Parts: sequence; structure tokens; C-alpha cells
Amino acid sequence: MSKFQGPDAYTRQDGYELLPFKFDRLAGDDYVITNMIGEHLIVPMVDLLAVLKKDLVTDHPLYASLRAKHFIRHADEQAPLDLLALKLRTRLSRLTGFTSLHIFVVTLRCDHSCPYCQVSRQMDGETSFDMTPDMAEKALDFVFRSPNPAIKIEFQGGEPLLNFEMVRFVVEAAKRRNIVEKRDLEFVIATTLSLLTDEVLEFCHEHGIILSTSLDGPADLHNANRPRVGRDSFERFEAGLAKARNVLGVDSVSALMTTTDKSLSRVREIIDEYVRLGFNGIFLRALSPYGFAIKTRKFMTYDTERWLEFYKEGLAYILELNKAGIPFVEHYASLILKKMLTSNDPGYVDLMNPAGAGIAAIVFNYDGSVYASDESRMLAEMGDQSFRLGNVLTDSYEDIILSDTLLDALEQSFTLSAPMCSDCAFEPYCGAEPVFHHAIVNDVLGRKAESSFCNRNMSIFKHLIGLMQSDASIRRLFMEWANAC
Amino acid sequence: MAGLAELTFDSKLYGAEAIQKAAYRAMHAFTLDLTVDGESILCRLVGNITTGQDAFERAVEEFRKDVLDYQLRAQLQAETAPIRNLIMGLAFSNARLN
Repeated sequence: MSKFQGPDAYTRQDGYELLPFKFDRLAGDDYVITNMIGEHLIVPMVDLLAVLKKDLVTDHPLYASLRAKHFIRHADEQAPLDLLALKLRTRLSRLTGFTSLHIFVVTLRCDHSCPYCQVSRQMDGETSFDMTPDMAEKALDFVFRSPNPAIKIEFQGGEPLLNFEMVRFVVEAAKRRNIVEKRDLEFVIATTLSLLTDEVLEFCHEHGIILSTSLDGPADLHNANRPRVGRDSFERFEAGLAKARNVLGVDSVSALMTTTDKSLSRVREIIDEYVRLGFNGIFLRALSPYGFAIKTRKFMTYDTERWLEFYKEGLAYILELNKAGIPFVEHYASLILKKMLTSNDPGYVDLMNPAGAGIAAIVFNYDGSVYASDESRMLAEMGDQSFRLGNVLTDSYEDIILSDTLLDALEQSFTLSAPMCSDCAFEPYCGAEPVFHHAIVNDVLGRKAESSFCNRNMSIFKHLIGLMQSDASIRRLFMEWANAC
Repeated sequence: MAGLAELTFDSKLYGAEAIQKAAYRAMHAFTLDLTVDGESILCRLVGNITTGQDAFERAVEEFRKDVLDYQLRAQLQAETAPIRNLIMGLAFSNARLN
């Protein structure tokens, strides 16, 4: 007689229970199912129906995966509940930290006149659109009221280097305060690099400041998108990039691109330019419906379907590069894949629920006004003050953070109680985006069936899942993207 | 001319809420008039002015699938609601997972 029982002795005969999950149709008869924390499986319709009817037999190929990813459990098993709870707590842990990103709009002045600009820039001699020291001190009072142990201060404009003295003032004042506060303090300057000087770079080096810049593609496209006197935006960018990397290091300069109608047929060239300039990834971004993008009607020059074609072509090209041994990522896909393939939330404001407005990021405008997000102040520049939370000169932290303006927007856009979103299998990957929907349909919730935000993101989610399903090597690459530092 | 379709669902098999949710999802293509007649739920789907005939027919086909999906979702949610609440309780309880 054997000392060990056969496998049959360990096979449960008592059936299974369903755990909470959602499902949505993909192409053909396939469904994606997601649990409470976004772990997913692809199942044919016939198997989904069998799962729901509890007809799935234990030796079915899906059975073990369904148990491992907590879609089903045996009635006496406690571990799946504890693990789901732990992962859910991990995913939502950012909420306890509260606001991390604090954006200081130190000036609206700019040396560029981009037709798609989301900010209503001012001429570069107009100092009445500059932040004052008094406002900056009040804003820093506010920053250090946040309980978050990691504080990021990002300088935006306009072109923040046109008011570099205010950047210097805020960095030095914040560092003085941090001797007592002991936060993990980080600084970022969002700049075109066109006005970068040795003095600025020396200061950035001394204080560990990161530069976030803009690159729209090859020189002719970049210069067409980003006009300035001298028509030399790209040349200044490239020279500034080299200088900045030389002083600050390659990893201290990142770039963002914006897709205009001129970009649509040139995604491979745009990506090639990023590769040529030594970037390790690109963020393929659609135009946002704010600021000059609305005034100049640039926002209307292409629709979601056309942008999705552009995006998918770019993603396919990046995967080709990866397979040829060139490490390069698409950053938006990486953010989503982190949500799909890990228990962590990357903290990207557009894909947060509750929305990140105010509670993940907040904006201090040059005039002391406080806005719930960068997009909110862009709306305000267009005359819509819906997301103005107050002013640092006159309102307290509590007045601003507990304002009905902020809390109503967060509550009313909450996806787990929103029509369509609450049943959507992709909800764990998506976000509430109240400001976008307000800008488009004057309602923070919006009708998701008619929302370009919903259409765009649902299409990307399905596309990423489809790519992983169709090719095991892409799944491995995406695992690397999701787990990259 | 806008598309028009009439569908009937058996109320013993489908809830009105599942049909309403499916219609909400299709509002980009058509609107729904819903009436209950005995054990039948009558749906009159009226295409939006901007919806062409082909797009309308595809949307109606999707709607029929969505009604079934939403009905199954309702059953799944009802069955798993107590466990979902328990998991939420565990997740946010200081006693268990701090």
C-alpha cells in the first residue's frame, strides 16, 4: 500500500462558489472577466455560462486559473477573500496619502504660440500674469498641509523659465520648510527647453530638479506644431536636451508629445525621433478639449477613431522595435498594463477612481486661485470657473479641500456607482475624469455611451488584451512594461 | 429616415432593469420606449437622426446581446453581493490587514 493517496483523494467534490466579478464581450464569442482588483481572464461565452451556472468541472483547463485569480472558491476557503481584500487595499492605498502632485503656475507668459495650447498663454513681457512671493508662500502653506509623505512640486506655465526667479524662490522656501517636515520632496519643471541657461541647469543640478519637456516629432512637425519667433523651437529643444542631459543625467529629462492633425500620418517618424534622441518611451497623447485647443478648433480636427488608428499603428511599431531588441515603451499603455497585470495603481490622474482632481493633484494658479486639476485651470482661462476651489490668499486648506465644488465632482463622477461604468469589466483600469466630461457635455458624469473618453479607453483596453491573447511574446513584453520602474 | 425596431422580452426571463441598462449603452445609436404588457416587455427602438440604417441594425443586434449580458450580470451581482461586502469590510478593516 502506498504511503501517499492518489490525486483523486485531493480533488474537491463539493463544487464552487462565485466570487464577485464583471464581464464584457470582446471580439467574437470571447469575454473578458475581471475581478474586484482588475485581474483578468479571457473565456469563451460557453465557458462563461458554465462558470455562472456552476457547471464547470474541476479538470476543465480554466478551473485552476479561475481559482488562482479569485473568480471562484470553495465554500470553506478563506484565503481568496483575504487575498482579494489585501490586493484591494494595496490598490487603493494611494488614497490615504492624499494629494501628492502640487502644480505651481508661476507665469502664463510663453515664448511659443502653439495653436493647440491648452493654456491661454500671454505675451512674454506681460508680468501681471506672474505668481508673486506672497502667493507662493501661501501655496506652500497649503502644500505642507497635505499628509502625503511624498510631495511633488511641478512648475508649469506658460513657460516657467520666464519666471525662473519664482521657481528658485519656491524651491528654496520648500526646502527650508522640509528641514522640519522631512517629506520626500521632488521638483519638476515643465519647459520647452527653449530658454534653458547654464544658470538654470546649475540650479536644477544643485536641487535635483527633473525637467519635463515637449517633443512632437521630427523638426518640421515640431516646429509646425510649436511656432515661436525664429521658428527654431526644435533646434532649441535639441540643444537644450543635450545640455540638460549632460548636467542632470539622461534620466532627468522626460518628454511628452501631443497629436495634431499633422501628426496622424507620421507616427513611425515621431517614434523614430524619440528613439534617435535616446528616450526610452513615448506618451502618445490625444489633444485635450481645453484652452487654445478649443479657441482654434484644433480639438475638432480629428475624431477618436482616427486617433485610435494612429495610436494602434504606433503601438504596433513600438512592439516591432521591442522584438528587434530596442527597449522602448508607450507610456499610456504601460500605465494601463500596470493596472491590468499588477496589484499596484500607477497613480495616473486621468485613470483614477475616485477622480484624482484635488485629492491626487492640485493646481495653484499665478493669481492665487486653486484648481482641482491642470485641466480645471485651463477651463478657467476659457471663462469656466466650475472647478475653482478657492484662493490661497483668502481661503483655508479646509475651505478648499472640503468645498462642495470638489466633493460634489468626486462623488458624482464615482465610477462604481455610475451608469454603465458600474457594470463595466474595464472599470478597474479606467478613471472618472469629471473635468473632461464637464468640458464636453457640461456634466461631471457624462453619458459614457456617447463619451469619447470611454470610447477611446475601452478601445485601448480591448486592444491591449487582444494583443496579449494573440501573441505570447507580446504578453511577455507587456509584463516587462507593467513592471518597469 | 431613422431606423425602427420592435422587440419583445419575456418578463419571467428578463428584468426591465437589464433592458434599460442595455438601452443606455446603445444611446449613441437609438433611444428606447419601454412598456410592459402582462408578462411581455415591449421595446420600441428608435434610431437617432444621425444613425444610418446599417449602424442601426448593428446596434440592435448588440442590444439583444447586451440585454442577455446585463441579465446575467444582475444574477451574478445578486449572488455575490454578500461576499463583495465582506471583502470590502476586510479590505478597510484595521483589525485584519493593517
